Amino acid sequence: MPKPPAPSPTAPRPPWHRRPEVRFLAVFLALLAAGFALVAWNPVNDRVIEPFTAGIAVVSGATLDLIGQDVTMRGTVIRGPRFTVNIRNGCNGVEAMLIFLAAVLAFPAPWKARAIGLALGVVAIQAVNLVRVVALFLTGAYLPDLFDASHTVVWQSVVILAAVLLWILWADRLAVPRRRAAEDAA
Amino acid sequence: MDVRRFLRNLLLAIVPVYAVWTLVTPAYTRVVIAGGRTLVRVAESPNVTRLLPAYQDPNYAWIDRLDFPPSRRRVSSFRVTDLHFHLVLLGALFLAVPGISWRERLAPLGWALLVAFGFHLVLVLFWVKFIYATQLGAWSAEHYGAFGRNFWGLGKHLLDLPVKLALPFALWAAFHVRRLLPRRPAAPE
Repeated sequence: MPKPPAPSPTAPRPPWHRRPEVRFLAVFLALLAAGFALVAWNPVNDRVIEPFTAGIAVVSGATLDLIGQDVTMRGTVIRGPRFTVNIRNGCNGVEAMLIFLAAVLAFPAPWKARAIGLALGVVAIQAVNLVRVVALFLTGAYLPDLFDASHTVVWQSVVILAAVLLWILWADRLAVPRRRAAEDAA
Repeated sequence: MDVRRFLRNLLLAIVPVYAVWTLVTPAYTRVVIAGGRTLVRVAESPNVTRLLPAYQDPNYAWIDRLDFPPSRRRVSSFRVTDLHFHLVLLGALFLAVPGISWRERLAPLGWALLVAFGFHLVLVLFWVKFIYATQLGAWSAEHYGAFGRNFWGLGKHLLDLPVKLALPFALWAAFHVRRLLPRRPAAPE
């Protein structure tokens, strides 16, 4: 069977080749939609997300114990003498992880760089989320008037911002090493 | 893009942007409630929903239904600032881009704010319909079928959590991700 002719270098390319930012955005949004649809699906939510959230509650409870808070655990509920918090969807860092994952996979980069970025990014986002849960528990216990604003405005923004910054760092340092090397040499 | 300068700019921008958001929040919340009320009325017939700022706390919106008995007219409320707090993130990300003129920073920010405003109105609509479809007990079950309850419930969940949180980055990427993408080799002359 004859091979199809190779495209001419002067032939017009499709828009997503000429505009890689359009391709990035389209793939990012598609992956994001797929990711959120997947985690919203009941079987995935019940078998993956809920146990994962319970695990976050256990780690957060252990951390609060370490810093001297006398807490008890029941499922995703952390109960202390002054405050009780229930770790639910939205407090488990999954949204930030999915945004980070979609951005890493949509960005043109070698698969090795993507794998390193995903592994480090997920750990870092969960570390920030752990700080968030512990800080929110302490805010609820000692500064209850500030809890609502901290819960929504401050800490949701901080976790998403952490994911965005981690992605920007990854894209600049790991995903495009040749460009950086060239810029550094210049 | 110089990432160090981006991070420095972000740290410098986030507190002033938060202060501006706090200052404009009372007025913006009223605008979102008024725009949301218009959108809800477009989506319903007859027009029975009254959406208005809560007088005890102007960050909240009350949802009244005029076809309910007066004692049960106030069906629910929700905090409108929760819908638009991501503007802080959006503003800081757009203002932090280094090495470009203020015009190049502010024009994309203006477009992004316009898109975000449209998103806030749609989110208000989904909040109201979510409450009608799933939160009013027997009345919800009588007036909304399984598809309606799932559509408004899932729609509100997706818009209010993942889409709301991802929107600042998606809008920033739409305008500025090319600064991070690898440069293509120049075409041969």
